[in-house]
Amino acid sequence: MIRQSLLVVNNLGLHARAAAKLVRLASSFASEIYLSREDASQQIDSKSILGVLMLAAKKGTRLVVSVEGHDEAEAVEAIRRLFESRFGEEM
Amino acid sequence: MPDHGSLRVREFVTDTSLGLDLEILQSKGLDNEIRSPRIQKLGMALAGFTTYIHPDRIQIVGSSELNYLKELTPDGRTSAIQRLKRFRICCIVVTKGLDPPKELAEFCARQEIPILRTRALSSLSTSKMTRWLENRLAPRATVHGVLVEVFGLGVLIIGPSGIGKSECALELILRGHRLVTDDSVEITRRGLDRLLGTGGKILRHHMELRGLGIINIKDIFGISATAVFQPVDFAVRLERWNSEVEYDRLGIDQSTMELLGVPIPLIVMPVAPGRNLAALVEVAARIHMLRQRGYNPAKELEELT
Repeated sequence: MIRQSLLVVNNLGLHARAAAKLVRLASSFASEIYLSREDASQQIDSKSILGVLMLAAKKGTRLVVSVEGHDEAEAVEAIRRLFESRFGEEM
Repeated sequence: MPDHGSLRVREFVTDTSLGLDLEILQSKGLDNEIRSPRIQKLGMALAGFTTYIHPDRIQIVGSSELNYLKELTPDGRTSAIQRLKRFRICCIVVTKGLDPPKELAEFCARQEIPILRTRALSSLSTSKMTRWLENRLAPRATVHGVLVEVFGLGVLIIGPSGIGKSECALELILRGHRLVTDDSVEITRRGLDRLLGTGGKILRHHMELRGLGIINIKDIFGISATAVFQPVDFAVRLERWNSEVEYDRLGIDQSTMELLGVPIPLIVMPVAPGRNLAALVEVAARIHMLRQRGYNPAKELEELT
């Protein structure tokens, strides 16, 4: 299992469209991918849009992603890149 | 129970759902932790018997305690209160709208024990606080799945994402059953063997359906298609049909899964074309009801042959 901390850096936070992108990306991997806020214990399935929206992550929120499965390394890397690319949001 | 959580007194005072209209008489120590849902009366401890004092419980001071203190001489009062000194009591609640003696207030300010007051009687306060604390401190878990009420039974549908849990729930709603929550079910254990499920506050009664997006069941089907809380009676795990796995053909043996230490009946339901999941879940609920009344169709057949 890989755990990695992620910072929401885009201005709008994990809003609906960003969440949809994340869910689409997560669903393309076979691994189980869970997300939680760093300040709460509740874990959500990142392949579920409702779960991701429930995180109510704003700009500056720190999340922890836990990935387990045979493609876990690729999954973590892809998710990290999506967060860094601000979910395609324009500056 | 050892797996109880904890909460700060601050949260206890500010949650209006408690319904005791608490006022803060002494505010030092509001970050103390309450770690037990049980309530204690401070009477015995003030009278000198401190063996059973549980500092992590809320301590009630009612008219018997206050009248006892009032009858003592000022010195006696002080020494009675000083008996509490070696315990780190989390919080004191004065009931009946009474005024605590100033010695107690001063002692609590020094020891950082918050004093709260309610107009309610001790008996009502105790029952309301216990109920609220049992809920708040109950062992809890979040399960990825859907909780539906089918014929009054709580059915927890679990399985990997994309298997059709929401679609199954939707079909059940169309058949007149009720959605408690889609996607993430918050489960708390009440007592030793009861599991209560509910949805998160933010996303209650929302559902995601691939191709349609996010919908609100309450808006589309009305309030009667939803429920807020529901005890969990059994679980259905949806799985992709795997020809290597032997699925239950008889229904004589019942498998279970464990949630917060409580075993609940589990039905493993393979998903394949032509299988109407909602109908199967509905029948599973009917079977569960029959089983609870001691009836088992497969066993009956076995006895006949």
